[in-house]
Amino acid sequence: MEDLELQKIWKAYDNKLEEIKVLNLQSWALNLRSLETIQTYKAKSKLNALATFNLWVVVLGIVWILFLGVLVYGNRFQNPYFSVSVSVILLFTIIAVWAYIRHIIIIREIDYGQSITDMQKKLAQLETSTFQSTRIVWLQLPFYTTWFWHNQWMSDPKFWLISFPITMGFTILAIFLYRKITQENLHKKWVRKLMMSGPEYTSVLQARDFIDEIEKFKRDIA
Amino acid sequence: MDTLTAREEFLRLILQNKRIIIKICNSYCPDKNDREDLAQEIIYQLWKSGKNFNAGYSFTTWMYRIALNVAISHYRKGKRAGQLISFPEKPIDIADKRDGGIDMEEQARLLQQFIQELKELDRALILLYLESKTYREIADILGITETNTATRISRIKDILKQRFSTLNK
Repeated sequence: MEDLELQKIWKAYDNKLEEIKVLNLQSWALNLRSLETIQTYKAKSKLNALATFNLWVVVLGIVWILFLGVLVYGNRFQNPYFSVSVSVILLFTIIAVWAYIRHIIIIREIDYGQSITDMQKKLAQLETSTFQSTRIVWLQLPFYTTWFWHNQWMSDPKFWLISFPITMGFTILAIFLYRKITQENLHKKWVRKLMMSGPEYTSVLQARDFIDEIEKFKRDIA
Repeated sequence: MDTLTAREEFLRLILQNKRIIIKICNSYCPDKNDREDLAQEIIYQLWKSGKNFNAGYSFTTWMYRIALNVAISHYRKGKRAGQLISFPEKPIDIADKRDGGIDMEEQARLLQQFIQELKELDRALILLYLESKTYREIADILGITETNTATRISRIKDILKQRFSTLNK
C-alpha cells in the first residue's frame, strides 16, 4: 500500500461527509447566537464542572475556616493548647482552600488555542496538582490530638503515658504520610489503598502517565 | 468579536469547516451519541476562544488546535469513566467497490478503526497528515519539531500499512 492510497481512502471518506448528516452541527451552531444556549452549554462543559466542584470545596472550606476562626477568637487564648491547635488547623485549611482557588483560576484561564502538547500537559498537571498541593493537610493531623490539652494535665503521669505518646505517634505518622504520599509513589499499593482506590486515584494516575507520554512524544526520535 | 457581523462571519467560518469537526469527532469518539456532545463542546470552545483568534493566523490551523485539544480531553475523560472502547458502527457509506479487494467503504471503515487504535497524540498526528497539512503546520499545531513530526508520521504510516497488508493476506 502506497502513501497515496491512504490519502485516497481518506479523501473518499472526506467527500462523503459532505452528503451525509453525521451530526446536526449546523442548527446547533446557529443556536449559539442565543445567549441562553451559551449559558446552558457553559454549565454543561466538563471543565466548568470541575471548576464548579472546586468552587463547592472552596465554599465548604471557607465555612470551615470561619467556624475555626470563631473558635479561636472565642477562646481568646484562655487555653493556649486549644488556640494554637485550632489556629494551626485553620492555617492548613487556608492553604488547601487557596490551592483549590488557584485551580479555579487556572481552569478559567485555559486557552484551547495553545499547541496540543502544551495544552494537554497543562490539563494533566491540573489533575495531579490538586493531589500534590493538598497533601500538606496531612501535617495538621497531630493537632487534632492536642486541642483539648490543659496545663493541669502536665503534672499527671497519665498524660505522659497516654496522651503525649498518642500525639507523638500522630506527628510521626503525619510527617511520614506527607513525605511518602507523593505522585512518585502513586504506583505503590499501600499509597493506592490509603489514598483512593476509586476514580479520583485512577484519574491522577492516568494524568501522570499522560504527562510522561507527552514528554516522550515531544522528544525527537532517531 | 465585537459586532454582530463579526460574530456571523466567525460562525460562517466554523460551519464552512465543519467537516474538520466531524472527522475529529469520528476519530476520538466511538460512541455515536457521545459524538454529538463532543461536537457541541468543540463548537462552544471555538466560539468562546474566538476573541483570542489572530486574524493573521490560518483559521483552519487554529481550528484544528482547538478541536483536537477538546477531543483529546474528552477522550481521556471517557477513558477514565470506562466508556471506551467500542469500534464504530459504519461511519460512512461509500459505494466504490473495487475488484478483488476490500471495497472503498470497508477500507475507510478499517482506516478509521486503525486510527482509533493509535494513542491519542499519534492519532492527532496522522489525522493532520491525512488532511494534507504540511509538516511545519503539524509541528506547529502539536508543539513538536518538524523532524520529530516527519519521523513519527513515517512510523505511523508503516503501522497502518502493515495493518492493511495483514488483512489483504
